[in-house]
Amino acid sequence: MASTPVIETSRLSKTYGSGSRQTLALDNLSMTVNRGEVFGFLGPNGAGKTTTIRLLLDLIRPSSGSARILGMDARDDSVDIRRRIGFLPAELNLWPGRTGNQIIYYMASVRGDSKGIVKHADELAEQLKLDTTKRVRDLSSGNRRKLGLVLAMMHEPELLILDEPSSGLDPLMQQTFHEMMQGYRDKGKTVFLSSHVLSEVQAICDRAGILRDGDLKAVETIDKLTNVEFRWVNVRFRDAIPDGLTAELRQSDAISQLDLNGSQATMRLLGDFDPLLRIIGQGYVEDLRVEEPSLEDIFLAFYSSEEGGR
Amino acid sequence: MTNGVILANTLRTSWKQVLYWGLGMGVLGVYIVFISSNSDIVEGYAKLFESLPPAVLQAFGASDAALFSSTEGWVVSIFVSEASLILSIQAVLAGLNIAANEEQSGIMDMIMSMPISRTQFILEKTIAYALITLGIILCCVAFPVLSLIAFGVDADIGAVASSILNLYPGLLLVTVVTSLLTTILRRRSVAIGLAAAFVIGSYIFNVIGNAASGAVADLMQQLSFFYHASGEAIIAGTFNPTGTIGVIVIVAICFAASISMFNRRDLGL
Repeated sequence: MASTPVIETSRLSKTYGSGSRQTLALDNLSMTVNRGEVFGFLGPNGAGKTTTIRLLLDLIRPSSGSARILGMDARDDSVDIRRRIGFLPAELNLWPGRTGNQIIYYMASVRGDSKGIVKHADELAEQLKLDTTKRVRDLSSGNRRKLGLVLAMMHEPELLILDEPSSGLDPLMQQTFHEMMQGYRDKGKTVFLSSHVLSEVQAICDRAGILRDGDLKAVETIDKLTNVEFRWVNVRFRDAIPDGLTAELRQSDAISQLDLNGSQATMRLLGDFDPLLRIIGQGYVEDLRVEEPSLEDIFLAFYSSEEGGR
Repeated sequence: MTNGVILANTLRTSWKQVLYWGLGMGVLGVYIVFISSNSDIVEGYAKLFESLPPAVLQAFGASDAALFSSTEGWVVSIFVSEASLILSIQAVLAGLNIAANEEQSGIMDMIMSMPISRTQFILEKTIAYALITLGIILCCVAFPVLSLIAFGVDADIGAVASSILNLYPGLLLVTVVTSLLTTILRRRSVAIGLAAAFVIGSYIFNVIGNAASGAVADLMQQLSFFYHASGEAIIAGTFNPTGTIGVIVIVAICFAASISMFNRRDLGL
């Protein structure tokens, strides 16, 4: 028998405002997140990621549709659900005059077993190198984020809902965070995280959904989603680009969207680097930069290939 | 249903309000009692007030100049009228502290990610601020009463204490009305404006009711919580608890409505 999905939404919609000022933030979202997976919710700012999360937590109410978390109704059983989940909002606001320890103790008290929870919070704080004796107002944005992670994870919830979790964390801490999420998955727990950073989702998620303008465009495994073989390449030559080299760049099947500007060339490279290196080797290359595709690029590439395949 | 953690936490983080407001009002009470201990001053004021028209007398917090002839009448008229106005500000602030401030600052998302219901949140926070206001009122009672004893002033201490305690239902009303407004309107600035209008309007209704005569003026006065919070009737021995009970019933209705509204709407900005 298949286990109950940890998150299950059915035609979930949310509209803000009324009359002519009405905005559709989420449109008929139907999806499932299974136990033991790290699910990424990808989309640009304003796509509806935070709205979805706030609906799951019963902070806002749906205009239509429903959601079930851990087999319970997101609205009717919200208190029981929140007992079993941890949450980190995108914009973390806490009582500025209180110390990390005071907030940890308060939230642990509300959750019940404060002794055990506080002990685990201390372990998490140590792992994240967070000083919990400082007042919130004295913490940097990165350290506030760490405190938010401690608060979300200290009671070892079955489901973690994280909204843009690693924004503000330095690269080393991002790595620690990724390891923590993998450890979480290894324990059979579930993580639902939203992000607009593809590399983050790529690093830790098993599956991801792409949300755009409130509409879920796709839910795919990370391998399938990120299996696009192109990069953006920027080449700066010492001198003006020779005509012959320009012609070869234009003729290459691997290169598209070529933009020439004096001694610089920007292009979209499909496949291996070798054909490009052979062409640009004719000139003196001062600088070569490669950028991974943006979320939007992936999105467009994914869809153009899907449509092409039909 | 309620485990009391939010109540205890609110009291732990807000007890200083009792100290500051209580001390401030207590000093005012001591000052008024100190003046009342000088019979020449009280007699002088009584003669002055007897010569004033009702509308001007009302500005000093009394509708009957005869009240100023007794020490307890003098203390209650001056102190209760000033305390009711000043503590109305505290009551509005308490109403904002129930939900609006944490919602405005974005902390509500973290609070409501914990396993507590919206009803429990409003219930425990309202009880906490009701207790804080009670603490302030008890300071308001204690300082004048102890001063009357300390200065050896001959006054009906029971009447003075009862008159000051009678402020409590009215202040609770201001708190729950403010809380209700914030649960309906979400925008704190609009709620503050309307709560201020409620307090000022209530004060003006009481002034007009005292100064004018007729059915309309009487009705306006009955609608004012300042009228029901006034200790004059207690001092005069004509206190009818119906008005106070009415205020408590309205407090209960507003409280239930604020829970209902908070349960219905989206949280956060």
